[in-house]
Amino acid sequence: MKKVLIPVFSLAICLTVIGRWTSGFSAFTIFSYTLREAGQLPRPFPDLAMIDQEGTVFHLKEKQKYVLVNFVYLNCPYVCHKVNNQIEQVYHLFDQSIVPSKLEFVTISFDLGNDDVEKIKRYRAYFGADISGWSFALPYQSRQEEFDQFLRRVGIWKYAVPATGIINHSIYLLLISPDNRMVKIFDPARDNNHTIVEQITACLKEEAI
Amino acid sequence: MVSFLFNEWLSETMPRHQLLQLPALFVLGIILGSRFSKDKVIDLSWSIAIFIFIMSSFVFWMLPHSIDVAAINAWFNRVMHINMLVAGFLLVPALRHALFEIKIIFLGMWAAMITAAGIALRVFDILLCSAFTIEQQKETGLWLIIIGTGLYAFTLFVFFSGLSRK
Repeated sequence: MKKVLIPVFSLAICLTVIGRWTSGFSAFTIFSYTLREAGQLPRPFPDLAMIDQEGTVFHLKEKQKYVLVNFVYLNCPYVCHKVNNQIEQVYHLFDQSIVPSKLEFVTISFDLGNDDVEKIKRYRAYFGADISGWSFALPYQSRQEEFDQFLRRVGIWKYAVPATGIINHSIYLLLISPDNRMVKIFDPARDNNHTIVEQITACLKEEAI
Repeated sequence: MVSFLFNEWLSETMPRHQLLQLPALFVLGIILGSRFSKDKVIDLSWSIAIFIFIMSSFVFWMLPHSIDVAAINAWFNRVMHINMLVAGFLLVPALRHALFEIKIIFLGMWAAMITAAGIALRVFDILLCSAFTIEQQKETGLWLIIIGTGLYAFTLFVFFSGLSRK
């Protein structure tokens, strides 16, 4: 009987280590791990001053409506544009009675070194003139460390590959409620547009009740 | 040590990190183990415990989360080196006295694990490791499938040659 305990004990230790490392076998990538470590939903969305494409400084908590937030950088070779194309489709699935009065979209750039207000304004123009309620923004007067800390608290991972300068990052879409809490997280790689719209609509209806 | 000298180069791309660095350290451990370790793990339960440790070590260092942290964090990278060296070092005494059936199960599970990891890296169209590119991820996946299949063929060879000896 004692002999059985040795491999069982070894297995238990190994499973414990791997289990803790993957947040209970639920987060196998650094993206999902960072999100898990930031805390369970719903949780408060950390505050940070931002500046939009028109040069207006704002805080997300001041909007007091649902906001769908995503993070990009303009020099991204592929994924960010693909995600923004998906957001554009989601945006157009909502009618004007919802956007912008009850729901807004905010795309935040985290490339503090390269992106500026002029660039995000130009970039926004690619998605058409008629996208009121979809702002592009940058952190306002924020140091890199401060912004990195903000991203960690939100649950967004970013890493600039030294050899290429490419910033690999989480592509989650975060739904912030009017009382400034993160209530839903969507993964554009897995969730289709209709699922995203359905879930946002359900939140809006809940709020109305 | 070889890996420490070329660490930066080995950690630069995912195929180098997963297909050269990890196995090289493990093989280095096996070489050290076969040269310096004269001990036999007589007890079957200790052999199985060591096999579990080796398998778990490989599972751990093949997780995208671990790959990322090992590529980004030098300290964590050192832990990987030591873990792989120890795993290789322990394999030799564990194998010397393990039952034939245990060896086959170990090899078969190892082959299946490597192939499964390869398929996952190959099939996913999303970036799993932030330190590398999706092209490198797919290339690593392909090679892991090839290595896993080769290891599976080797397992069958060991199995049938062992049976014919019996």
